Order: sequence, then structure tokens, then C-alpha cells
Amino acid sequence: MRMRGTTRIGTALLGIAALALTAACSGGGDDESGNEKVTLSYAVWDQNQKPAMESLAAEFTKTHPNIAVDVQLTPWEGYWTKLKAAATGGAAPDVFWMNGPNFQLYASNGVISPNPEQVDTSVYPKALADLYTFEGKSYGLPKDMDTVGVWYNKTLFDAAKVAYPKDDWTWADFQAAAAKLTDPAKGIFGTAAPLSSFQEYQYDTIAQAGGYVISPDGKTSGYADPKTIAGLKFWTDLIAGKQSPDLKTMTDTTPIQLFEAGKVAMYWGGSWNVSEFTGNDYTKGKVDVAPLPKGEKQATIIHGVSNQVGGKSEHSKQAWEFVKFLGSQPAAEILGKTGPIPAYNGTQTAWVAAHPELKLQTFLDEVAYAVPYPVSKNTAAWNEAELTHLTKAWSGEQPVDAAATELAAAMNDLLAKE
Amino acid sequence: MRRAGLHAVLIVASILMVLPFLWQIVTSLKTLSSATAVPPTLLPEGHWANFGKVFELLPFGTQFLNTAITAVARTAGQVLFCSMAAYAFARLRFPGRNALFAIFLSVLMVPPQLFIIPQYQIMADLGWLNSLPALIVPGLFSAFGVFLLRQFFLGLPIELEEAARIDGAGPWRIYWSIVLPLARPGMVALAVLVLLWSWNDLFWPLVVNTDPEKMTLSAGLASLQGQYQTDYPILMAGSLLASVPVIAVFVFLQRQFIQGIAQTGIKG
Amino acid sequence: MQRHRVTEALWGYAFIAPTALGLAVFYLWPVLQTAYYSFTEWGAFGGHTWTGTDNYVRLIHDPEVGRALVNTFAYTFLGLLSIPLAIVFAALLNRKMRGVGIYRTFFFLPVVTMPVAVAMVWRWLYNGDYGLINYVLSLVGIDGPNWIADPDTALYALVVIGVWTSVGYNLIIFLAGMQAIPADYYEAAELDGAGPLRQFLRITLPLLSPTAFFVSVVSVIGSLQLFDLVFIIAGSGNAARANPAYPRLETVVQLFYDRAFVTNDRGYGAAIVIMLLLIITVLTALQFRLQRKWVHYA
Repeated sequence: MRMRGTTRIGTALLGIAALALTAACSGGGDDESGNEKVTLSYAVWDQNQKPAMESLAAEFTKTHPNIAVDVQLTPWEGYWTKLKAAATGGAAPDVFWMNGPNFQLYASNGVISPNPEQVDTSVYPKALADLYTFEGKSYGLPKDMDTVGVWYNKTLFDAAKVAYPKDDWTWADFQAAAAKLTDPAKGIFGTAAPLSSFQEYQYDTIAQAGGYVISPDGKTSGYADPKTIAGLKFWTDLIAGKQSPDLKTMTDTTPIQLFEAGKVAMYWGGSWNVSEFTGNDYTKGKVDVAPLPKGEKQATIIHGVSNQVGGKSEHSKQAWEFVKFLGSQPAAEILGKTGPIPAYNGTQTAWVAAHPELKLQTFLDEVAYAVPYPVSKNTAAWNEAELTHLTKAWSGEQPVDAAATELAAAMNDLLAKE
Repeated sequence: MRRAGLHAVLIVASILMVLPFLWQIVTSLKTLSSATAVPPTLLPEGHWANFGKVFELLPFGTQFLNTAITAVARTAGQVLFCSMAAYAFARLRFPGRNALFAIFLSVLMVPPQLFIIPQYQIMADLGWLNSLPALIVPGLFSAFGVFLLRQFFLGLPIELEEAARIDGAGPWRIYWSIVLPLARPGMVALAVLVLLWSWNDLFWPLVVNTDPEKMTLSAGLASLQGQYQTDYPILMAGSLLASVPVIAVFVFLQRQFIQGIAQTGIKG
Repeated sequence: MQRHRVTEALWGYAFIAPTALGLAVFYLWPVLQTAYYSFTEWGAFGGHTWTGTDNYVRLIHDPEVGRALVNTFAYTFLGLLSIPLAIVFAALLNRKMRGVGIYRTFFFLPVVTMPVAVAMVWRWLYNGDYGLINYVLSLVGIDGPNWIADPDTALYALVVIGVWTSVGYNLIIFLAGMQAIPADYYEAAELDGAGPLRQFLRITLPLLSPTAFFVSVVSVIGSLQLFDLVFIIAGSGNAARANPAYPRLETVVQLFYDRAFVTNDRGYGAAIVIMLLLIITVLTALQFRLQRKWVHYA
């Protein structure tokens, strides 16, 4: 639909530039024969994982000597803006990281391409394979995964003479523990109920309460559902009961800082927090992790990053080969030694073994009942609405059911526009 | 006595101004744990290794060079182009002058965030993505600089220029050998500001260039910020190293102001 | 005479040509495109359909736009405080005095301090439980608020940081402006027996007025475009919106950014930015009209 002349010229120029660039990097040629050398661009956003990605790229080139991979790091803050700018001009990288909330937007606009062949996705957690399926087609392959657990401070538990959480604990157990651990005189809170990251908080309790965020067809909001509201009320009750700091306090000092200062006893956090809590001088040796408590049912949100092939990649064949390699068992084993939990089933032992002092197996056991991260074609729009409306409930300005009902209406409007 | 009061005011204000910078120095010598601790600790620690890590994580020398080249080129370009345009708007008469000046100003009124994607497109069209020209060229032109210098030129006494004109000097000669020397403080101010903005510019280099070897330091430092975890001490150490040249340039250039005072000879 | 005029005009065009060309390509063209897209529904990756004035109608009825405008105006008005402050400090630092170079460098440091460090310090100063400000207040028995999370104080807390940041910039410009004032004016005044304060009021201020006019125009524009500062104290995206004071902090450019880059509502974002552009144009034109009353050109 673009009409501007400059864009057409731009695309032409860009094509020439891309060709020139490829020629410069690889000594020329086109990719049809498969014997010519090509360099794939591979965009990632995590500095900490860059070395692992580079060793994966090197590993891939060993078996595919004609395909070099250039790992390009753009930090999280600029990653999506840059990708959008690049995709608008048709210059998106050949292969890049994708997350759940953005996936359908990119898939529906053809910025990423569906897989050219059927691959066995049963080797990944089903929720992840489903997350990266759009209109019946799978896109790319899952790279890693994360689930949520309750990180708890053993020292504070011991001091308050509270037993450590059991694997089958319930909401009532959690609430009782939070109440006992709270010590206003010492400024200690049983837990923290923030609003800035739904993945570790609201989405989990909504699922545990038997509610839902978005209907399976992605057309309607679940926020007006009484069970969904119960999942939200779980948190606002903790704030009202002063077992969690209030929203203002958590705005000044983030819950993770409070947890690392011994001011919060139980912190709902992701498997990605392992390096944070094993590296921090205070939490090192003092904390462990338990599964999320059971509400009406057991649930945790599962999310994971996937590797995708750019929809306009000049080397889509080679890019797909690389994505397949990244999704393979050997690649997952390399990733598991350093990075997040690899998505490939059965390759996670190295990740668990890295910290025998923590019950990291918890995060894997939770996969059995994990629910996928709620997304739609324009997830960001209603993510914003969630905050706009629920802030009022969290600050106590509005009852949680009223705020949630208003949110449901706003979210339905946004979904209708998708 | 008056002098003591003056120093007291300046010292209090200076403390307020310097506090974050001192904080940055203290943080650069901490471990990550103590940097993010609550309540914060104010005592310096001795983790000099943070400075070494900056060099491990970033191609510091290359990025430093890129930053310097970009900053110098942008500064030189703006000081030249802006002063030319400013002179025309301040002193020369030509049809459409006010309308053109208004259009120039309108550029200043647009929030810079608007330009990210269109300018990226232009760079892509020109085939300049991932190159130094992409960092430099859009920064050569500035409505801010034109407006700043126009105001300076308007404030200069016109007599010298008129004398030169009567002597038969053309606009270029008047601009080059009379106006520019007189407006030196203004040019220095613009140079300092452009240098600074260019040095600190973060988002544009990050978006338009990808290769770490083609990035500036501020963008390189930004890439040290992780999605979940940021090593603040290393970040602060890197930023300190990066800001040393800018501070040095300022310390040097602010003498220009003192020299001016020596000529005017005011006593405090 | 006629030939002379033509020559002068040609020189004029030649002098502005490089900047005019650069601005047209890199800045004006994107603005014109954006103006066009403000009448369309504009997808995340470039496709668009014409929707006429829909975006503008929606804008008038959007309470978030009204709120952001009120915040932005309040911030702009209060932020003007940095101008008199910068003039006073520039006057104090525009003299031969022991240590003046050091003071100037100190005042310059905020400008080179890393934004992350600036954010950490201010967040600590303003922290409701651990902050320095509330600690000092507690010594005199006052229980201070959560400055940046309280809807009643957040905007003022933001203004203080804004003034703090801009004093350094404006100081550089004012110092330069004071340099351009010819020394003989002061000498004459001194012969007449005028003291420093009188010299400041009678000579410095009037002759600094072109510079002050510049700073005023640029400050108002900069304040109306406020964006980064809110990020600094409230974080970006979702973290910012989880701040209960966000309705008092949100600015027009943030709203534009959120629509254009976050929620993929780019056409509407374009309409918001064009609206802001019109407001800025009107306010700037007003300042140019008013300058006749107070700006003295040589």
C-alpha cells in the first residue's frame, strides 16, 4: 500500500546495498545454489547471552561452512523500535529473537515467515509451541522458556518460625505465611504485590483462580469474569492487609530491591532471577524457591523467546537452517550451560545442576500445568489498558471489581480494532 | 564579607550540581549488590576492576574514536552552517527571509522522537545504515544553532559591519572577518552544546547502527543494560571514562569566557 | 542600487542553502509525511488507509490527551524558573574571581552526568522511606510524602529535576551572551559610580535580552516536548504507568511515543504530535510578537 516514490527507490537502493553488502562479506553470488557463502544477520537483545549466541553461531558454521552468522546485539530498550524501523523498510535481520506479546503483530504483518516445513514441536513444552502458532501455522522455533516461582528468604522464615513452603501449598498457606512473616516494627512485609509485571503476578493468580485474561479465540477480555477478579483480589487484599507494601512504596523502591534488602520475605519471580539472587551479596545462600501456591488449580505462566526468520530475508533457506539448528537438542545443551532454561525437553539438566543449592527443578516441574502467556495481535494496546485501569484498584482509589469491569470494556474495544 | 557570602551561595549550589556526578564516581567503585542496596550506602569502595571490565565488554577504543569523529564533525558542521544561515537571517535582506526563518524554527518545534523512523528510512534509502555518515550527516544541520547564533549576531554592534561595507567588503568578507570573530563566545557556546549532545546521543546511534565497531560510546554503554539485570557499577565506570574528554574540553573552552572578561575588565 | 539588492539577496540564499537543504531532507520531509499520516490509520509497519479527520475527532474526546496537555502546560510554566536562576548564576560566575573556573565546571557537570546516575540520585533523594529529603524533614518532625509516587507532589518533583538539568545548559548560553556585551559600557557606568547591582540591571539585563529571548523560546519549546525526564524518574512503559502519580506526570510527547511506538496506533500518534506542533507554533509566534516589548537589539 505504500505509495511514496522515495520508498520504492529506497527499496531498490536497499536491495542494491544489501547485494553489495553480501558481496562484500561473502565474495558475491546468489543463494539459490546453496554452495555460495552467505552471512546471516541474527538480532538478539540480551548482552548476557551474546557469548552463548556467538558460540552457537560458530557451532552452526562448522557444519554449514558456507553460512556465517553475525550476531547483532540491540539492548532491550531499543530493540523493538529498531526492529520496527528496519521492518518498515524491509530491512529486518535474517533471524531474530521474538517474544510472545509481539509475535502475532509481526506474524500478521508478514515481518516473520511461517515455517517452510513441518517440524516436530512435541519436543518443546506445548504451551510454547502454541504461543508461536498463528492462524494454524507455526512460526520459528522456541529458544528458551521461563516459569514463575516463589523466591523466599529462609532467614526471615526462620526468624518468624514459619515452616518453608511445601510443594503442594495453597493460597491459604501462602496468605497465612505472609501474615506471620509481616513485622511492621521491623519494616518487614510477608510479600510484595506490584503492578509492573503481570507475568509473575496477576496472570498467574488469574489462572490459579480459574479465570482467564483473553478468550482462546483472542476476541474477548476475561477481566469481567468473577474468577479473574478473584485472581486480582488476591493481590489487592494483601496490600489492604499490609502484608505487602503499598503501591507508592513499591514505586519508590522496587520489590526486588526490598527482597534483596531483607524487607520482603516472599518474592514472586521468574526462573530468570537465578543469576540475580545467586549473585547478590544479601540473597546469596539465604533464599530458595518454591512452586506457586495452588488456588482453585495449580498454574504458572510460561513464556519463552523464539527464533524467527525475517519475512523478507534474502537468504530465507539458510536462515531457516539456522533456526532449525538453534531449536535442536545440541544447541539447547550449549544454551543450558550458561543462559536461560532451554526450551528443548530433556536438555535442562545442566541448567538445574548449575545451582545445586537451589531447588531449580521447581521451575521445570511447573511446566506440567503451565498456561501460555496471554497475547493477541496487538498485545501492547491492552497491556497499557491493564495498567491504566488496575492502578486505580492497586492504589485503593477504586474497588478491584469495578476497575476490572472497566478494563474489560476498554480491552474489548481494543480487541475489536485488531 | 560580600565575597564570602557569594562563595557560600556558589558552594551550596555547586554541591547540588555535583552530587549525581559524585554518586556516579562512588557507584563505579562498588559491587553490583551494594550499588542497588536499600538504603543506599554512600561510602566509596575499591572495586577498580569495574573500569577494567568496561574494556573487556566494549571495543572501547573504536567506539571512542567513533564518538570523537562524530562529535567533531557535527560540531564543525553546525558551527559553520548555522553561523552562515544565522548571519543571513540577522543581517542580509532577501525576499522570504522571515517566512524561511519561521520554517527553520518550525523544525525546532517538532519533538525529536518523530524523526527516528523517517530518518532511519532515509539512511536505508541512501545505503548508509551501519556507517559513520549515518551518525554524522543528520546532525550537521540544526535549527537550534541557527536561532542561537542569529540572536547573537543581532546583539552585535552593527557599526563595524557598516564601515566595512562602505569600504567595499562583500557579505562573505564581513561575515568571515568581522562577524565571526566578534561572535566568538556564541560560537563557543554552540560548539560546547553540540559537542555535548553529540557525545551523549544514545538512541539514534543505537537504532541506525548495529555493528559494535560502528557505534558510539553512549550507545555501546546502553547495550550493557540487560532486560532483567544491569551491572550499574560497570555502566557508571564506562560512562565516567566516556565523559572525561567532554569535561576536559569544557574546562579548556570555558577559559574563552575568562579571556573575554579580562578584556572587559569587570571586577567582582 | 537595484543590482546591489539582488546580489545581497543571492548571498542570503547562498548562506542559508546548506542548512536549508539539510533541514528539508532530514527534518521537514518527515514532518510533512507525519502530517499526512495523521489523516490515516497507519499500521505498525507502514501500510495506511485514509480516514480523514477521524484521528482528530478522537483526539478531542480523549481524556488522556487533555490530561497530558494540562501536565505539559503546568510543567512548562513552572520550568521557566530555570531562566532567572541561570541568569543570576551566570552573572555571579561572569567575573574575575578565584575558583570561578571550578564553579563553572561544577555547574556544567549535571549536563555530562550519565542519565542513569541522575535518575538513581533523584530517586534516592525523593524516596519516601529512605530518601534524604524525608530524612531531613523527619528531623523537624515532618512525615514527608512519597514525592514521585504521590499525585500531589510528583509534578513538582519533576519540575525541580527539570530546572536542575537545564540551569547548566542555560548558564553556558548566558555566559556567552554576557561576553558579547562590550566592556566600555561597564567602564562608562563605573565612571558614573554605578555599583554591581545597578550595572547588572541597567546594562547586563537589557543587553542580554536577545539571548534571554532565545533561551525563553527554546525552553518553552523544550518543556512542551518533555519526554526523557519522566522516563528518568518513573521508568519506561509499564513501570511508568504503574506509578499511581502517572496521570499527573504523563506528557503529550509521551502519549505520542506510546501511541506511535508502543500500542501501534501510529496514525493517532501522528495526530497528537501535529496538535502539539500547532500549539508550540502559536506559543512561539506569541513570544516573537511580545519580544518587541522587552528585547533590545543593538
